[in-house]
Amino acid sequence: MRPGFRIGIGAETRWDGADRVGAKFAEFAEERGLPAAIRRGVSVALDELLANTIAYGGAARIVVDVTLHPNRLSVMLIDDGSPFDPFNQEAPPPDTALPVEERKIGGLGIHLIRKMMDDVRYERRADRNVVVLTKRL
Amino acid sequence: MEITTRTQQDVTIVALAGHLDSNTSPEAQAAIDAILAGGGRKVVIDFSALDYISSAGLRVLLGTAKRLNQERGALRLFGLNETVREVFEISGFATILSVVDTEANALEQLRER
Repeated sequence: MRPGFRIGIGAETRWDGADRVGAKFAEFAEERGLPAAIRRGVSVALDELLANTIAYGGAARIVVDVTLHPNRLSVMLIDDGSPFDPFNQEAPPPDTALPVEERKIGGLGIHLIRKMMDDVRYERRADRNVVVLTKRL
Repeated sequence: MEITTRTQQDVTIVALAGHLDSNTSPEAQAAIDAILAGGGRKVVIDFSALDYISSAGLRVLLGTAKRLNQERGALRLFGLNETVREVFEISGFATILSVVDTEANALEQLRER
């Protein structure tokens, strides 16, 4: 068995592509017997990141690479859109203690990714955005 | 995603099935908009067949809660699975929205209003 998988998403098949990545991850997680809590966290993070990239990045191609290491799972997302670091934005993180009336709509996706992953990194490499998420096993 | 709406007296129950994410949240938003436009002010959302919710889905819920608050209406949610519950807890939605255990609890609370 391969220790991971790689999927490419083209411009025409974006949302279908995101669904395909989700389905492939679920299958992979099942096959490798990943704990339910890890599956949930990674599925959410992967979905949030893909949704962001698809909606705002203007990328023609997105590649998702998932690798299972002995003690961690890493998810790499590479896209050829304009430079964008999702983890270094000026908007403050949402205040999750505010009541309904005062809660702002937005900023939740990145917050979920940060909370569910152990490490998040971004770099601009060879005209590509490269995001790496790590979850310890 | 599948959305089923039914009413019981003055309460509208919306059952969401599948994934509530960036792809499907416009559909859910449209279903909820239709309820509010039709004068519905007591809304129960049934999550028992919902596998997954992303931040786009949370935005729909927050917007709905805000609108119902302004209109002196009420929102109750029930049937959250582990994945949805975890997302609710991390985002703080578990405390700002009214989550109950069963449909019966939800209806009972809204009838008293």
